[in-house]
Amino acid sequence: MTRQLSVQPGEFTLSDQFGARVAHFLDEGAREIPRDIGERLRAARTQAVAHRRVSESVAAPAVIAHGNEATLGGGMGFWGGAASWLPFVVLVIGLMGIGTLQDQMRASEVAAVDTELLTGDLPTAAYTDPGFAQYLQRATKE
Amino acid sequence: MATEKELDAFLREVEKRAFKRSMYHVRNEESALDIVQDSMMKLAQHYGHKPAQELPMLFQRILSNCTLDWFRRQKTQNALFTHLGDFESSDDGGEFDLLETLLQSDETTEAENPQGQTERAQTLRAIEAEIQVLPARQREAFLMRYWEDMDVAETASAMGCSQGSVKTHCSRAVAALSKALRAKGIFL
Repeated sequence: MTRQLSVQPGEFTLSDQFGARVAHFLDEGAREIPRDIGERLRAARTQAVAHRRVSESVAAPAVIAHGNEATLGGGMGFWGGAASWLPFVVLVIGLMGIGTLQDQMRASEVAAVDTELLTGDLPTAAYTDPGFAQYLQRATKE
Repeated sequence: MATEKELDAFLREVEKRAFKRSMYHVRNEESALDIVQDSMMKLAQHYGHKPAQELPMLFQRILSNCTLDWFRRQKTQNALFTHLGDFESSDDGGEFDLLETLLQSDETTEAENPQGQTERAQTLRAIEAEIQVLPARQREAFLMRYWEDMDVAETASAMGCSQGSVKTHCSRAVAALSKALRAKGIFL
């Protein structure tokens, strides 16, 4: 085996020559590894290759696809996406409904008070009179 | 993205060298096998989707980290610092002459007779023994640079240090190896 060190032609120094010769001997040593060690290395290599990581660009869609199947059981892309948004949409609609209902109840209460005021025997201006207000407070305490 | 075949071919190419490198560090067959197996698995599981040309660098880095993890797990704090923290210069007072070593080597013939084979085997054992006693950082830099055929920048990246440090480690490793081998009468 001829070694080609990673140096430019003009850079090949005595150290490089010495290193290359040592490496040549080491290569011979590596070839003389006992058979059982070689077999164990082969087994380790086979095991490692079996666990080889596949490309990220392939793996990512596969994970998403599994997620869709788990959600809808059919792998329908559009409906799967729509279904994942459904709980959020229901929540928003529910909150809007509750808000509207509370507004209507508050308006009804205010309207009932106004009606009582306008249809009562007392003139509306009486409620702004301080003396009448004191009379009402005393009457309430008694 | 590296295909399964490319990943398998890459691991097949590096597995024996990785095992030997781990052996030089941990000096235990079972542990070295564990480290290589762990490194292979991490490469495949975490970086199996990377392009094939990125695998060597990633693997070297993983292998280094797994070796460090092994030392940490063993809780051999002293050994860790002895092997990995020894950045002391191995200056030898200028006795080192690599040119002399190489020139003497050029004069020798590599006879492929039984005696020559025996001598080569002895040389290999001597080289491995000397590599094992190198400070860990020097050993790591030397093996990555010359055995794994990585350039200075790649070695620096894999070791998490500067290119200057790599050059220093390599230079010291070459000097130490050459001196030790010459002392045993071995000229490469």
